[in-house]
Amino acid sequence: MTFNYQEALKNAALSMVRVKSPTHLIKMIARFLDREMGISHTSIIVLDGQKHQYVFCDSQGEKKVPKGLIKLEKDNPLIRWFSSKKEANGLIKKDHLSLQYLNSLLQDKAVLSYDKTLENRLVKIKEYMDTLKATLCVPGFYKGELLGIFILGEKTDMTEFNQEEMSFFQTLASDASMTIKNAEYKDNLLQKIEELEQSLDEIKRLRENDKDKYLQTILTFAYMVDARDPYTYGHSEQIKKLGLLTAHELHLDLSGEKEKILTSALLLHDVGKLGVPDNILHKKGPLTNDEWVLMREHVRTGPRILENHDDFKEVSVIIMHHHENFDGTGYPYKLKGDEIPIQSRIICVVDAFDAMVSDRPYRKGLAYDHAIAELKKCSGTQFDPKVVDAFLKIIEREINV
Amino acid sequence: MSKILIVDDELEICAFLKEFFSERNYDVVTASSGKEAIQLVNRENPHVLLLDIKMPGIDGLEVLKAVKQYHPNLKVIMVTAVETSDKMAEAFKLGADNYITKPLSLEYLERDVKEKIFKLI
Repeated sequence: MTFNYQEALKNAALSMVRVKSPTHLIKMIARFLDREMGISHTSIIVLDGQKHQYVFCDSQGEKKVPKGLIKLEKDNPLIRWFSSKKEANGLIKKDHLSLQYLNSLLQDKAVLSYDKTLENRLVKIKEYMDTLKATLCVPGFYKGELLGIFILGEKTDMTEFNQEEMSFFQTLASDASMTIKNAEYKDNLLQKIEELEQSLDEIKRLRENDKDKYLQTILTFAYMVDARDPYTYGHSEQIKKLGLLTAHELHLDLSGEKEKILTSALLLHDVGKLGVPDNILHKKGPLTNDEWVLMREHVRTGPRILENHDDFKEVSVIIMHHHENFDGTGYPYKLKGDEIPIQSRIICVVDAFDAMVSDRPYRKGLAYDHAIAELKKCSGTQFDPKVVDAFLKIIEREINV
Repeated sequence: MSKILIVDDELEICAFLKEFFSERNYDVVTASSGKEAIQLVNRENPHVLLLDIKMPGIDGLEVLKAVKQYHPNLKVIMVTAVETSDKMAEAFKLGADNYITKPLSLEYLERDVKEKIFKLI
């Protein structure tokens, strides 16, 4: 049998992006493995919502485990094997467990001698794999937590699983874990937005009573965003300071409520990042196209959270456009020049500068003169030249101080 | 050899549990309806009955009532997806020896069967 793993993996990954419900995804994977891989049976067990036990989410094939019949407690030998970190001084691999490997371990006196309980545990695992008619188990983890296990029967051509197949299953398991977490995250997001709206009602109430408290709450809100990402800690405060200075330099009209609106927008410009999954927000390395789509969503999510509140109508509009480029190549609406609110143009410059000089998971911050050169280079394309000029005056003054 | 009668209208479940207990040296018979279960209890005289509740025709609770009347020593473990407290209460009132809900842990089920048989000796 020739099977194109690269192609299969690509197709699987593509369908995962589209899947909304984790249960649906798992069934899809089980059916895919059953149909395409020539395995006597396939089961997928996953950690249940309350995180107390692992249940069979789907089973396919001739000798399958009946659906809904059994669960694996956290003290099940197989679960404990994958949940616990190292064995025998790290001599044992835990990215998969095949009967073949299990048997070789049981015969390896050197490995067994490291730990007196090991042999007994391995025998119990073997018993359990026999019960499930499993010849290969492949775990899926997310942030070190065991989320589930692929349990695979024999290959119908009776050969052993080869290296290519093993790594295919591992990639599939890790992609699936990631997708499941993302889908859960989306469900939680709706709930989170509701909570945020409640806090906003609270803000409104406080604001009527006490102006200081209102600002305090806005600050708390901004810190919530910062706190999710250790790399941008203090980011909001810095943006507020530099943004206000730039506005003054530009002689922007800040009378009446206008200064407060700008301050709130500067502090809350990234509030929509509360809706970006952790694994994307904290990813060490460049984002894929699909991940970028989710990341860019934050300019819409922020206003969605804020716009229902009269106090934040103007703030929402400013936030919505802080990634528009001066030449009309930005997002979400490709606005151009003066179509972009001046406050958004300010945030765009200040935010870009702060991002460049800050350390990120995947790189060290650029030196100031580098970042300044970059701003100059993109003045007129990404940035409003007027804002860049004003901002650079501020920076030169700040650095000299 | 200890004998178990497994009663479930899902044949896959009967087959899976039969294999599980057979490999652990139990003598296993299976029934897929309430009527068949009552007949087999009389004929095979098992030590332990693993009994599903929701079955077409005579359901598990009726089977429980019938068998406990003539075989008071037979240990009956209800194995069911039905989780309501009134069913559970009714089962215990009718003399059930345990009530295990699906999905179940095989280790727990095996331990419980072992324990029930130990009590018979």
